[in-house]
Amino acid sequence: MSAAAAWPERRAPLLRLSPPALVGGALLALVVLASVLAPLLSASDPLKPSFSRRLAPPWGLGGTAAHVLGTDNLGRDILARLLHGGRLSLALAATSVLLAAGAGILVGVVAGSAGERLDALLMRVADVQLAFPVIMLAIAIVAVVGTSPAALVGVLALSGWVLYARTVRASVLTIRRLEYVEAAYTLGATDLRIIARHILPNTIAPILVIGSSQFATMVLLESGLSFLGMGIQAPRPSWGLMLAEGRDYLSNAWWLATIPGVAISLVVLGANLLGDGLRDLLDPRG
Amino acid sequence: MRTYVVRRLWQSALTLVGVSVLVFVILRVVPGDPAKMLLPEGAPQSAIEELNRQLGLQEPLYVQYGLFVQSVFRGDFGQSFQYRAPALQVVTERLMATVQLALAAMLITVGVGVSLGIVAAVRRGTGYDYASTVLAVLGQSLPNFWLGIMLILLFGVALRWLPTSGFESWRHLILPAVTLAAFPMALVARLTRSSMLEILGRDFIRTGRAKGLAERAVILRHALRNAAVPLLTVLGLQIGTLLGGAVITESVFAWPGMGKLVVDAIFFRDFPVVQTVLILSATLFVVINLLVDLLYTVIDPRIRYS
Amino acid sequence: MPEHALPSVGRRRFLTLSAAGLAVAGLPRPSHAQARRSGELVAGLSERMLTLDPANHYSISSTSVHRHMFDPLVDVTNDSKFVPALAESWRPVNNTTWRFTLRKGVTFHDGTPFNADSVVFTLRRVKENTKLIKSFVYQDLDSVEKDGDHAVVVTSKRPFGSLPAHLTMLGMLPPSAGKNEEAFFQKPIGTGPFRFVSWTHGDNIVLSANPRYWKPGQPRVEKLTFRFIPELSTRAAALRAGEIHVIDRVTPDLVETLKGSRGVKVFDVPAVEAQRWIFQLGKEPVKDQRLRQAISLAVDRNVIIKELLLGYGRPVDSPVPPGLIGHTSLPPKVYDPEKAKQILKQAGYTNVSIDFVLMKDFYPKQLEITQAVAAMLGEVGIKVNIKNLEIATAREQRSAGTYDMFYSGWAHMPHDPDWYFGQWFTKAGSEKLTRYNNPRVEQLIAEGRVPDPKVRQAKYEELERILWDEEPEIWLCYTVAIYGVSDRLRNFEARRDYYVLLGDVSIA
Repeated sequence: MSAAAAWPERRAPLLRLSPPALVGGALLALVVLASVLAPLLSASDPLKPSFSRRLAPPWGLGGTAAHVLGTDNLGRDILARLLHGGRLSLALAATSVLLAAGAGILVGVVAGSAGERLDALLMRVADVQLAFPVIMLAIAIVAVVGTSPAALVGVLALSGWVLYARTVRASVLTIRRLEYVEAAYTLGATDLRIIARHILPNTIAPILVIGSSQFATMVLLESGLSFLGMGIQAPRPSWGLMLAEGRDYLSNAWWLATIPGVAISLVVLGANLLGDGLRDLLDPRG
Repeated sequence: MRTYVVRRLWQSALTLVGVSVLVFVILRVVPGDPAKMLLPEGAPQSAIEELNRQLGLQEPLYVQYGLFVQSVFRGDFGQSFQYRAPALQVVTERLMATVQLALAAMLITVGVGVSLGIVAAVRRGTGYDYASTVLAVLGQSLPNFWLGIMLILLFGVALRWLPTSGFESWRHLILPAVTLAAFPMALVARLTRSSMLEILGRDFIRTGRAKGLAERAVILRHALRNAAVPLLTVLGLQIGTLLGGAVITESVFAWPGMGKLVVDAIFFRDFPVVQTVLILSATLFVVINLLVDLLYTVIDPRIRYS
Repeated sequence: MPEHALPSVGRRRFLTLSAAGLAVAGLPRPSHAQARRSGELVAGLSERMLTLDPANHYSISSTSVHRHMFDPLVDVTNDSKFVPALAESWRPVNNTTWRFTLRKGVTFHDGTPFNADSVVFTLRRVKENTKLIKSFVYQDLDSVEKDGDHAVVVTSKRPFGSLPAHLTMLGMLPPSAGKNEEAFFQKPIGTGPFRFVSWTHGDNIVLSANPRYWKPGQPRVEKLTFRFIPELSTRAAALRAGEIHVIDRVTPDLVETLKGSRGVKVFDVPAVEAQRWIFQLGKEPVKDQRLRQAISLAVDRNVIIKELLLGYGRPVDSPVPPGLIGHTSLPPKVYDPEKAKQILKQAGYTNVSIDFVLMKDFYPKQLEITQAVAAMLGEVGIKVNIKNLEIATAREQRSAGTYDMFYSGWAHMPHDPDWYFGQWFTKAGSEKLTRYNNPRVEQLIAEGRVPDPKVRQAKYEELERILWDEEPEIWLCYTVAIYGVSDRLRNFEARRDYYVLLGDVSIA
C-alpha cells in the first residue's frame, strides 16, 4: 500500500459530509452565531435584576411574550442570559478542548514513539495528576490564583488532556508495529515523517470523537465548578452558573436549570454529529 | 514480561509517594485554616491558634510529613479534624456505599453502553443508529444533578415507586446508579460505535467474511476484541470518576460515599481525611491501571513491551 | 407537678386524676396526661452532625440532636426565657459567682444518679481541655466546686452574666466519661429523653426512648432518627414522599410547593438571627463612616425582604433581636438613594469600587441578595465586585483584611448578646475580623457582663445607640425560620433558634 493512498483525498471535503453531520454542523453554527449576535437578538439586560418579575415561566407555559424563555430568580430575562452566557461558555469550552487536545496529543505522540523511559515518565505524571480529583486541583489552583476565566480554562484543560494522551499513545504503539510502517522505516523515513504520514491520520478518528464528546464535558465541568464557586462569578451569566442557580428551583421553577441544559444538549448533539461525520470523512478505509 | 511487571510496580510505588507528598504539601500551602473551619465565627484568635497548635499544624512541613509517614506505616492515618475519629475508620465506613454505587453504575455503563454502541454500529444509518445517538447525547449532556433531582421528583415524589434518598436497601441504589451511569454510558456507547465501525472495515474482518463465517461470529469475536483497546482506556479512567467523582450524585441522593466525603473534607480542610482518601484511591487507581496495561498485552498481542 | 409522685401512682389512676384535673382547669389539650409512647419519628436536617460530644462543637444541628440525648442545666424557651432543666434554680451570689441548685432524682441512661459531681466534671473538662471547641467560652471560669450533692458554685475571673445562657448549650456528662473518653463517645450516655443507639458518620443517627426520663410526658415516640440531607430539593422530596416528618432550613421559594403537597404543613417563626454585612473598618474606603452611611441609604432592605425573601424576614430595629436582653427599638434605617448620592458627592467619592466577599452557600439566598445589592449600589455610583469564595478561602481573606464588605450573620444560639458584642465590637475580638475599635463601646460591653439584668439592659441600650449611628455593619433583616412538617405530627414547635426539638412531639 503506497503512502499516497494512505493520505485522504482533499477534494471538496465539506460536500462529502453525510446529512447528519451537516445537520450537526448547522446546529453548532446556529448556536455559535446566536451567541455572537446576542446583543442584537435580545434587548433585555442580562444583568439587571427586576424584583417584580421573578421566576416568570416561559411564553406558552403561563408567561408573557416579553420574556419568551421566562425570567430567573432575580427577574432577569433568561433568553438574554442564555445568549450572553453561551458566548462565555462556548468560548471557554472550545479553548479548553483545544488546549487539552493539543497538550494531550503532543504527550501521547511523544510517549508512544519515544523510548521506554520517557514513555514511563510521562505516563507516571499523568497517573499522579489523575489520582487527584478535579475538584481538589480546582480548589488549589483557584485558592492561589483567584477565580478568573484563564484559571478556569487551565483547570478544564488539565482535567481533559490525559484521555487524548492515552488514546493517541495506544494507537501509536499499535500502528508502529504494522508491517508497512516498519517497511517505511527501513526505506529510510524519519520519525517525524512516519508520525505525520501514517500515525496521525489514523489517530484523528478517535481524537475527533473524544474532542466532540469533551466539548460538552467541558461545559458540564464548568457547571460543576460553578456550583463550588470556582467557576464564573456572578452576576456574569454562563451556562454553568445558570444551571447552578437553577438547582434549588427544580421543584417550582424548573425552567431555570432546564433551559441551559437543553442548550447544552443541542451543542453536544451538534458536536457529536459533526464529529462522527468528520471521522467518517477522514477515515482512509471508509 | 517479568522485568516489565517489576518495573511497573516500582513506578507505581514512585507514583504513590509522589501523590502523598503532593497532597500533603498542597493542603498546607493553599490558604485555609482548619481551626477557623472547626471553631464558630465568634471564636477569638487565641482559640484559633490554640486549636491549630493542638492539631499539630504549627510544626514545620517536613516534620509533619515525617510524623505522618511514620504513623501510616503503623496503620494510623491520623484523626479526622471534623469527626474526631480515626480518619481511616471514617473513610472505610464509606467504602461499602461507594463500591456498591460504582459497581452498579459500571454494570449499567458497560451493559447499556456497549449494547447501544454495537446496535448503532451494526445498524449504521438506520433509525436505531440515530436513536442511540440521541440517547447518548442526552446521557452526556444532562447535568448530573438535574437528572438526579428529576428522577427523584418523578419516581420518588409523584409516583412513589422508589425511595427518594438514603442508603438502606437495594431499591435505594437504583436511581443514584442510573444517574451516575448516564454520562459514562453515553461515552462508552459512542466509543464502542466508532471503534466498531473502524474495525468493521478492516482487512482481516473482510478476510473473516470471505472464509464464510457467520456474520454474527465475525462481528462479535473479532470486532469487539479489537474495540476493547480504546474501551479499556476509557473504562480505566472512568473508574476514577465513579469512585471519587460521584460527589454531585452522592449529594443529591444523600448517598454516604467517598466522593462527597472527600469534597466536604477539602472544603473543611480536614487534612487527615483528604490525605487518607487520596492515598487510598491513588493506590487503587495505580493498581487498576497496572492491570489494564497488562490486559492490553493479552488482548492485542501486537503491543509488546521489550 | 411533683416529679417524685409519678412512679408511685398507678397509671390508670394518674390518667383519671389528670383528666379530672384538666376538665377543671379547662385546658384545650391534655399534653401531660399521656404517658404512653408510640411510633417513630424521622427528621431531615440540613447540616451534618460531626460529633457526639456536646462540648466539642458549635453547630446548630448538632445542638438539636444532642438536646435529645443530654440535658443542660438551663433550658431556653422559644421566647428566650430561661427555665430550669437539670438545675432547679440558680442565682448570682455576686458579680463573679453563680450558684446552681440541682434537680434531684434524675438518673443517667445507665442508672447512675445525676448530681453535683457530674456538673463539676463537665464544666472543669470543657475549661481545661483546650482542644474542645466550646473551651474558649469557659476560659473565664475560675473555680467550679460542689456544695453538697445537689448544688454547685461557679466563680469566674470577670463578671460572667451570660453563663446561664451559655449553659443551655452544654449537655451534662457523667463523671465516668472521664475514664476513657474515646470509648465513652462511641456510645455516649446522658440524662436526656432519648438514648443513643447508632450513628453512621455524616448519614444518620438513631435514638430510642428513655422510659425513665425525669420530665413527665416525654418522650412521646419510641424511636427518633435524624437524617442529614444537605441538598434542599432532596430534603423536601423526602418530606413530600412521606419518608421523613420534619425538615429544617426551608427557603421561602419552596413554601408554596410544600404547602401544596399532600400531608405537609409549613411552620415559620421570626428567628433570633440577623443577616448582616460587615465592613473592613481598617481599610479605605469603607473606613470612612460617610461612605458606609451612603451604602446603607442606597440599599432598599424592604424590597429585598419583600421580593427576594418573599416576606420571610423582619426589619431590624436593633442589633439584638427581639426577646433577648438588650433589645431596644431604634429608628429604622431608611432607603434614600438621592441622599446617598449627595453624601458621596460631598465626600468626593466618584469612582468607588468595593469587594463584597461571600462564603459559598453559607446563608440561603445570599448570592441573590448580593446581586440585588450590587445593582442598587450601582445606581448610586458604587461598583461592587462580588467574590463568592469557598468558606475557608473567604475566612482567610477576612483575617487578612483583604475585603471591603463581607456577607455574614449572627444567630444568638445562647439567646444572649454578650458573645456577639464581645466578639465583634471589642478591639481584641475583632482584630482579625472587622478591626472595630471604640473604647467607649468596649467599656460598656465590659460593664454589661454583670449578672444584673437591669444594668445589662441599660448598658446594651447605650452601646447600641452608638453602633446605630456609626454603622460598622449593615443589618439586613432578622431571618425567619421555616420548617416543613408532616401533618401527622402533634405538638411541633417552630423554634426561633433553628433547633429541631422533638422531645414533646408525637406522631399520629
